[in-house]
Amino acid sequence: MSDRSQLIETGKPFKFDAERDAEFERLVKRYPTRESMILPALWLTQEQEGWVSAEAIAYIADRIGTYAAKVFEAATFYTMYHLKPMGQYHICVCRTLSCWLREKQNIIDFLAEEIGVRPGEISDDGRFSLEEVECLGHCGTAPVVQVNGEFHEEMNVEKMKTLLAGLE
Amino acid sequence: MAEMIKLFVNGEEVEVESGKNLIDAVGAVGIEIPHFCYHPALGADGNCRMCLVGIEDGRPPLVPACKTPAAEGMKVQLDTDKIKKIQRDMMEFELINHPIDCPVCDQAGECTLQDYYMTYDGVSSRMNVEQVKKAKKLDFGGGVVHDQERCVLCGRCVRFCRQITKTGELGIVNRTDSARVDIFPGRPLNNRYALNVVDLCPVGAMTSADFRFKQRVWFLKKDEGICHGCSKGCNIFIDHNREKYKDDTIYRFRPRHNDQVNGYFICDEGRLSHKKENEGRLLESLKNGKPYNLTESYVLAQKAITNAENVLILVSPNLPLEQLVATQVFAQKIGASLSGYSDGYIVKGDGDDFLIQDDKAANRKGLELLGINTGGDFFWDSLEKAECFICIDNELPAVDTKRLIKALRETKVIALSSHHFNLVDQAFVAIPVASFSEYGGSIINCDGVLQSFQAAVVKNTPIADVTEVLRRLGGPLSSAPEVLAAIHRVEGPLAKVDFNRIPAEGLKL
Repeated sequence: MSDRSQLIETGKPFKFDAERDAEFERLVKRYPTRESMILPALWLTQEQEGWVSAEAIAYIADRIGTYAAKVFEAATFYTMYHLKPMGQYHICVCRTLSCWLREKQNIIDFLAEEIGVRPGEISDDGRFSLEEVECLGHCGTAPVVQVNGEFHEEMNVEKMKTLLAGLE
Repeated sequence: MAEMIKLFVNGEEVEVESGKNLIDAVGAVGIEIPHFCYHPALGADGNCRMCLVGIEDGRPPLVPACKTPAAEGMKVQLDTDKIKKIQRDMMEFELINHPIDCPVCDQAGECTLQDYYMTYDGVSSRMNVEQVKKAKKLDFGGGVVHDQERCVLCGRCVRFCRQITKTGELGIVNRTDSARVDIFPGRPLNNRYALNVVDLCPVGAMTSADFRFKQRVWFLKKDEGICHGCSKGCNIFIDHNREKYKDDTIYRFRPRHNDQVNGYFICDEGRLSHKKENEGRLLESLKNGKPYNLTESYVLAQKAITNAENVLILVSPNLPLEQLVATQVFAQKIGASLSGYSDGYIVKGDGDDFLIQDDKAANRKGLELLGINTGGDFFWDSLEKAECFICIDNELPAVDTKRLIKALRETKVIALSSHHFNLVDQAFVAIPVASFSEYGGSIINCDGVLQSFQAAVVKNTPIADVTEVLRRLGGPLSSAPEVLAAIHRVEGPLAKVDFNRIPAEGLKL
């Protein structure tokens, strides 16, 4: 685990767009307390912006009516919240047992060569970011790769090449 | 009185209060169960695992003592090899990333981690991996400076801000060995009780900007006192030290537990009021604002009092009952009017529903019980008539200055003052008197709790208190029993109080 507590400020105020705003209001009715909205609100933010900024955390805290420190805690605890801007295509490669045994490393090495990023890095042009993640729950069709949330199963270097070529 | 129950600790029977958890129950009879995160004011959190104990009754092999209510016949094990190993393991765990910078740490000497190491651990570290580096000097605001590396993540400070002040500035961010206490950027500690996190912190992670690096705590003398910052009368420890070749100096106030008054905490303003005991003091007698011989000053003051037809004495509402009654008797003897006018000590809207009060006078209830007139009209009328005005340590805050100057134009002012208040320079004679850390006495707080306190600080050149100064000016009371007898002559609830037997938590009148 690394330190995730150094938040990035955009210098611009954050606000949910109309769609997320409506979704927030829909979800808030679901829970007994407004504090339960911390995690869903962080998801909505990440969906909208691709990452979570300092301003967004403050906005969420004020919107929910809780302490900013509490939202800060949750955002830094869960590593699936991105606290810095990610690439246009965020690639997650599973590294848990099945995928590892089925040679996920080949895919990682290929990506390092092809697009020049190692896990945890973002490409210079900002198009790609790569992350190794824990089990994605598709062990039967390992190795599995996720691109912007979309699953690609039984991957190998050849299929990865095709996949990359298909991306704009 | 709570119901008593019997239980066994390490096979020995002890009688403890029911309705408490094991830490508090057996702690009250002198058996320590080590713990970091539990604090009686903040409740059980159960995160530190240091208080794990065994109970022989078929429960799970180990239970956290902070979350286990004491029960009749319970067989608690604290000294089995298994429990000792667990305590040692927990200590090893806490110390993995601890910097062990005790030689430069302010907490050394009163540090739970240090004490527990000596009692429950005492073995060398087995760690040979690099320690996790964190921030060493974070300004959290409110005078709190945080060292993340020393933190044991007990979360007391976090819970204090959420449960007690309800401001929630602090949180534990990240996880695993990267976890640390932090504020959200741009939202620092912003409450009037923030410095309590320094006392709550079991280790040296939370430090007070005011105290850090000033003194090693083992040099400090820790005397009991009462804060005079407002009418709450919070119980405090006065930590002071006389360094070689220097004078006895107060370095900090800390809260002292008293359920009847302040619980476990004090406000920051009161805590930092220790500076007022060291700074701005009137240390020598003055004549017309210039230093003047003390003995001669007494003579001058005495003459001024004798020559005046009308004398007005104004007392401070901070003075203890003993000094007030001595003044009362003195006023009767010389036929002076006595006023306790101190409306200016009330700051409307400043108080809250926790500890801080609007009224900044420590003993206003005492003034009232002694029957001293506190009315504004009486004060101003008497002042117009007075040829001699004796102001005893009353700061005259928020008073109409123009009116005061006009009223005092023809009047000889004698100031008996602990601090260099405005009136001191205009006074014909000013004589220094002791401040509350230097004398003993009794005061009554806003809730009618009578509390007594003893002198804590003894200066190299001790300054006389008001009773003594008045005696030198011809006052009739010369000893403590005489003063107490004078208080007992006052009708009302004070008549029956045994001032030598006031309970430690105060006497509710």
